[in-house]
Amino acid sequence: MSTGAQIAARAVDGAGLARRDHRGRGASAAFNGLMYGAVTISVLALGVLLYDVVKDGAGAVDAQFFQNQPSKVRPETAGAQSAILGTVYLMLITAAIVIPLGVATALYLEEYADRTRWWNRLIELNIQNLAAVPSVVYGILGLAFFVRAPLSLGSVLLAGGMTLALLVLPVVIIVAREAIRAVPSSIREGSLALGATQWQTIAKQVLPASVPGVATGVILALSRAIGETAPLLLIGAAASPRFNPDGLDSAFTALPVQILTWSTDADQESFLPLAAAAILVLMGVLLLMNSVAIWLRHRYEQQW
Amino acid sequence: MALQARQHFAEELLAVQGQALGGIDIVVMQIERVTEALEHQDVELAALVVADDDLVDGRYLEVHQRILSLFALQAPVAGDLRIVAALLHVIKHVERMGDQCVNIAKLLPLVGHEPPVQQDMLDRLLRMGRTARVEAQQAKLAFAGRDVALAEDLARQDRELNALNREVFRMAVDCGGDADTREWAMAMTMVARAYERIGDNAVDIGEQVCFVVTGLFREFSDSSHPAGPPAPVNDL
Amino acid sequence: MPSTSSPVEPPVPLSAVAGGLRSPSSEPSAAAREAVFALRDLAVAYGGKTAVEGVSMDLFKNDITAYIGPSGCGKSTVLRCLNRMNDLIPGATVSGEVLFHGVDLYDRAVDPVNVRKRIGMVFQKPNPFPKSIYDNVAFGPRVLGAPKADVDRIVEESLRKAALWDDVKDRLKDNAFGMSGGQQQRLCIARAIATNPDVILMDEPCSALDPISTGKIEELMLELKESYSIVIVTHNMQQAARVSDRTAFFIVDLAAGESQRIGRLVELNPTEKVFTNPDDPRTEAYVTGKFG
Repeated sequence: MSTGAQIAARAVDGAGLARRDHRGRGASAAFNGLMYGAVTISVLALGVLLYDVVKDGAGAVDAQFFQNQPSKVRPETAGAQSAILGTVYLMLITAAIVIPLGVATALYLEEYADRTRWWNRLIELNIQNLAAVPSVVYGILGLAFFVRAPLSLGSVLLAGGMTLALLVLPVVIIVAREAIRAVPSSIREGSLALGATQWQTIAKQVLPASVPGVATGVILALSRAIGETAPLLLIGAAASPRFNPDGLDSAFTALPVQILTWSTDADQESFLPLAAAAILVLMGVLLLMNSVAIWLRHRYEQQW
Repeated sequence: MALQARQHFAEELLAVQGQALGGIDIVVMQIERVTEALEHQDVELAALVVADDDLVDGRYLEVHQRILSLFALQAPVAGDLRIVAALLHVIKHVERMGDQCVNIAKLLPLVGHEPPVQQDMLDRLLRMGRTARVEAQQAKLAFAGRDVALAEDLARQDRELNALNREVFRMAVDCGGDADTREWAMAMTMVARAYERIGDNAVDIGEQVCFVVTGLFREFSDSSHPAGPPAPVNDL
Repeated sequence: MPSTSSPVEPPVPLSAVAGGLRSPSSEPSAAAREAVFALRDLAVAYGGKTAVEGVSMDLFKNDITAYIGPSGCGKSTVLRCLNRMNDLIPGATVSGEVLFHGVDLYDRAVDPVNVRKRIGMVFQKPNPFPKSIYDNVAFGPRVLGAPKADVDRIVEESLRKAALWDDVKDRLKDNAFGMSGGQQQRLCIARAIATNPDVILMDEPCSALDPISTGKIEELMLELKESYSIVIVTHNMQQAARVSDRTAFFIVDLAAGESQRIGRLVELNPTEKVFTNPDDPRTEAYVTGKFG
C-alpha cells in the first residue's frame, strides 16, 4: 500500500469503522449459494420442459392447426379448432358466472356481514377450505348435480362452464375481498359524511376503486381454470369432436382434454406433435392472460 | 427526575419578574438619596442620583427586551399573559419614578448652595420623600406577593401624598418675600410635584397587581374623576 | 379638598367586547343569538364503557367553536355525534339529546343519511376520492340528485369558496391525488361545502399539514364562517386561539380509576376569555401548558 492509503487505513481502523471478519460471513456465503442453486434448478427444470415441447410442437402450429377439426385417425389433416373454441366458450361462461357471484359474495362479506354472527364465520371458513379442494372433486360435483339429476343438463358446455365456475369461485371471492378491503375506510367515511347511503358508497366509491384488483384476480382465476382437465373429463367432455360447439347445450371439448386425448388415446406417435402444439397454444394463451393481468395491475394500481 | 411542563418558561418568568422588581429597589435607593440631598442641600449627592439613573434606564431596557422575547418565543396565555403584560407596565412606571428622582436632583443646584429655606415647607417635603419611598417599597411587596389588599392600601397612602402636595403649593403661594425666596419656593413646588408623581406611579403598579390577580383592570383613583370612578361605559 | 374615599368601584371593562368579564349564563345577548346545536347531557359509550358524559352546550350560528383538551378527553367523540358518524362504530351507544335547530338528531324518525347532508365533515388526514377534482366535488350534489346543469355551477362555486378555483380551474379532470396535502384538504372542504350544509365539522383538519397550508386553511375558516357554522377539534391551542369565537375545554376524568377514563366538558366560553382569564383552574393549567 502507498503511504496515503496506509494513513487512510489507519484512520478508518482508529475510528472503529474497519471491516471485520465475523462468524456470519461463512454462513452468509453458504446461504447465498443455496439460494442461487435453488433458482437454477427451478429455471433449468422449466427450461427443459419448454424446450421439449417446443421441439416437438413448433412445427405443427400452423394455419391448419387452427382451421381443422381434431381427429383420432389422421394426424396429417388434424387441427384443434373445436378444442380452441371450446376453451374460449368455456372461459366466457365461467367468467359470466363467477364475476357477479364472486364480487357480490365478497361485497356481502366485507361490507354488510356482521363478523360476530356464527353463520358469517362459517361462510368465511368454508370459502378458505373450498379454495384448496382438488379439482377432481368439483368434477364429481358437476357430474352428480349438473350433468345428472337434479339439473340433468347432460355433458354440455353449460355444465362444464358451471363446474369450472364453482372451481374458481373461492379464489375469486378471496381476491375480490382483498381488493375491496384495500379501499381505505377513509374513503368510505368521506363518502358517508357527504350524505351518501351505504349502497351509494359501495357502488360509486368502493367498487370502482377495487375494479383493478378484482379484474386481476379474475384473470388469474381464469388462467387456472383454463388448464383444468380432471373436472372436464368427469363432466364428459367429448374426445376429438369433429364439430364446433353451437350452443350452451352442445357437446364440447377443451384444449386440455384434447391434449390428453392426443397424448394417450391415439394410437400413433405421430399425434404427439399435435399434442405439443396444443400445449404451446394453451401456454401462449396463458401467457397472454397473465400479461394482461400484470398490465392491469400496474396501470391502475392505486397508491393509497 | 420529574419533568415539569414549561419549567424553563416558569423560571424565565420568575427571573424577569425579579429583574423588574429589582428595578424598584434601585428606585427606592434613589428616592432615599435624593431626599437626603434635599435635606442637606448636598449638590454632589444630587449629581450622583442623576448619574445613577442610567442604572434604572438600563434595567428598563433589559426587562423590556426579555418581555418581548417571552411574547415571541413562549406565547404566554391566561395568567402568564397577565403577568408578562403587567411587568411591561411595571417597568415603565419604575423608569418614570427614576426620572422623577432625577427631576428633583436637578432642581437642587439651581437654587444655589445656600438657599433661603422655609423650614415648614422643607419638613413637608421630607415627609413626602419618606412617604414616596414607603409607597415604592410597598408596591414591590404587593406585586411580589400578589397582595391585592396591600396594593389597594397604596391608594390611601397616596392621598396623604396628594394632600401634602397641595399644602406645599399653598405655602409657596403664601410665602411672599424677595426674589430668591420666591424662586426657591417655586422650585420646591416642582419637587413636591415630582414626589407626588412618584406616588402615582406606585399606585399604578398596585393597579397592575389587581389586574394580574383578578383579570380586571381597575383604576384605584382617577385624577380626572376626583369624586369617584366613571359609570361603566356599556351596560353589560 | 380631600377626595372622598370611594366604595368598591364596579370594574371598567377593558374593551366594549364582552370577552373578559361575563360567564356564558350571564350573556344577555346569548338569547338573541340563534343556537344551531343544543347538546343536553350527551353521553357516549363504546361497548358499554362510558367514553364521554354529561356534555351540555349550545353552539351558535356563524360561530367557530373550538374543542380543545388532552388526548382521550372525548372531543372527537362529541364532534362525531353531531353528524351521527358514531353510528358507524359498532357497539357505540349515544344517550342524551343532540338538538339541531330544535330537532333531536337521535330520534328514531331521523335518517342519519339526511343528517349528514346538512352537516358536513372534514377529516384529519385529507381523504379525496381516487377520482378527478371535478368528480370529487360533484359527488355530493350528484348523490343528492342535483340536475346535471346545476352540477357545473355548484362545483365552481364550491371551489371558489374553498379558495381553490384559481389553482385548479384548468385541470378539473386531473386526479385529485396529484395535489399537495394542503390543496387536497381544501378540496375536501370544497367537497363538503358542495352539499350546502348548515354546519361544517372539522376533526383536526390541519394536523397533517405544513404551517403555510395550515395558515391558508385558517384564513379560509374565517371566511367560511360568514356562511356556515363551524366546529373544529384541535390539538393546537394557538390555532384555537387564532381562529375560534368560543372554545370548549374537555378533560379526562380519572375519578373512577385509571381504567375508567371519562371525558367531560369543563368550560365553554368566548375564546378571548379562555385565553386571558378562564373560569376554571383546570382550563388555566391546560392552556398555559402546565398539564395535558
